[in-house]
Amino acid sequence: MSGKQDREKRKEERLREETQVNAKDRRTRLLQFGAGAVFLVLAVVLVLIVVSSSSSGGGDASNLKEVSQVDSLVSGVPQTNMVLGDSKAPVELIEFGDLQCPVCKAYSEEILPKVIEGQVDQGQAKIEFRNFTIIGVQSPPAGAAALAAGAQGRGWNYLELFYRNQGKENSGYADDEFLTAVAKGSGVKDIAKWNEERNSAKLTGEVKKTTAEAVKLGFTGTPSFAIKGPSTNGMELLGTPATAGEIEEAIEQAS
Amino acid sequence: MKLPTEATLRRIIAFVAALGIGVATYITIADSGGGAPTCLAGGGGCETVASSSYSHIAGVNVAVFGIIGYVALLASAFFVNDLARFGGFAVALGGFGFSVYLTYLEIFKIEAICQWCVASAVLMTILFVLNATRLIGYAGTDGPATRGQLRTEHT
Repeated sequence: MSGKQDREKRKEERLREETQVNAKDRRTRLLQFGAGAVFLVLAVVLVLIVVSSSSSGGGDASNLKEVSQVDSLVSGVPQTNMVLGDSKAPVELIEFGDLQCPVCKAYSEEILPKVIEGQVDQGQAKIEFRNFTIIGVQSPPAGAAALAAGAQGRGWNYLELFYRNQGKENSGYADDEFLTAVAKGSGVKDIAKWNEERNSAKLTGEVKKTTAEAVKLGFTGTPSFAIKGPSTNGMELLGTPATAGEIEEAIEQAS
Repeated sequence: MKLPTEATLRRIIAFVAALGIGVATYITIADSGGGAPTCLAGGGGCETVASSSYSHIAGVNVAVFGIIGYVALLASAFFVNDLARFGGFAVALGGFGFSVYLTYLEIFKIEAICQWCVASAVLMTILFVLNATRLIGYAGTDGPATRGQLRTEHT
């Protein structure tokens, strides 16, 4: 009997020792795993930071800002080439702009959204963008890139997204990589076709043609606006209105 | 230095994780309504951050990942075993690493700060410290782990 008790006692002690050894082993293993995980996470974060810092300065679609804001501004508004709004809208507002121009950027962010969400959405007016490329050598290719996006129904997405990610004038940011990133970010479906068209004589010629037209109209800076409607005598020049209110009033008068 | 008891650590972890769920849920709801979280001190930081292309991964708002992480951390505080200790530590570590990356993006890439994201990053940092303390202080202190967990079976 006592021999059996002894055996059971020894067995219990052995089990307890084994459990303690197991717990110690487990603790060591867990702490080793933990330390390994810390190094792994540290390495991943470092790699992510290095990768994202090396792709700075535009040209990378993943760096584009305000993609969703542009989407919500122009989605649901009909687009035909560079015309935003119902094609049957009685009044046509024409903007002569340069994608590299900071004032055009300010217009696109602060003034035009009010008009787009108001009279354009209501079908009273449509806005056409025409290139007036005066800033620098990267302006005409950027303009043609927007026209090529327009051919796929994404012209205004392209303009708005470009402006919202615009770099410093003539700093060289508006290279092919940047133009392509904006095309992808603005939802241009067929990038190969867009690439072909933006370099075509038709669209590069169109940029030159509208620039010459703006000069002929007497415009000297961007953006400059003109308006056509049932109550205007052909195309009337608005120059550069200072507020959205002035543009809205001009649309009312032209209606 | 005397460590707080594991029960105390678990209580604090649960409390901080619950706060984190609140913050991440607010950011998600504000974003899904088409808007952006409102900055308490004004300014458009939150709007800029929320509208940047970094705010979503594969179309999913990063705050949703935050909710998942905080819920996992909250759950880990309710169990007393090595799986919960290590699981909590691993989730908090991942969340902390992700928060470091997101904060880097805010400062250097988006160039705007959203207080709600900073709040979440701070909470995740606290949770990382708490869970690391819990793991270092109490790993291997309970009996055999629950069946099917990190236990090595001896027969």
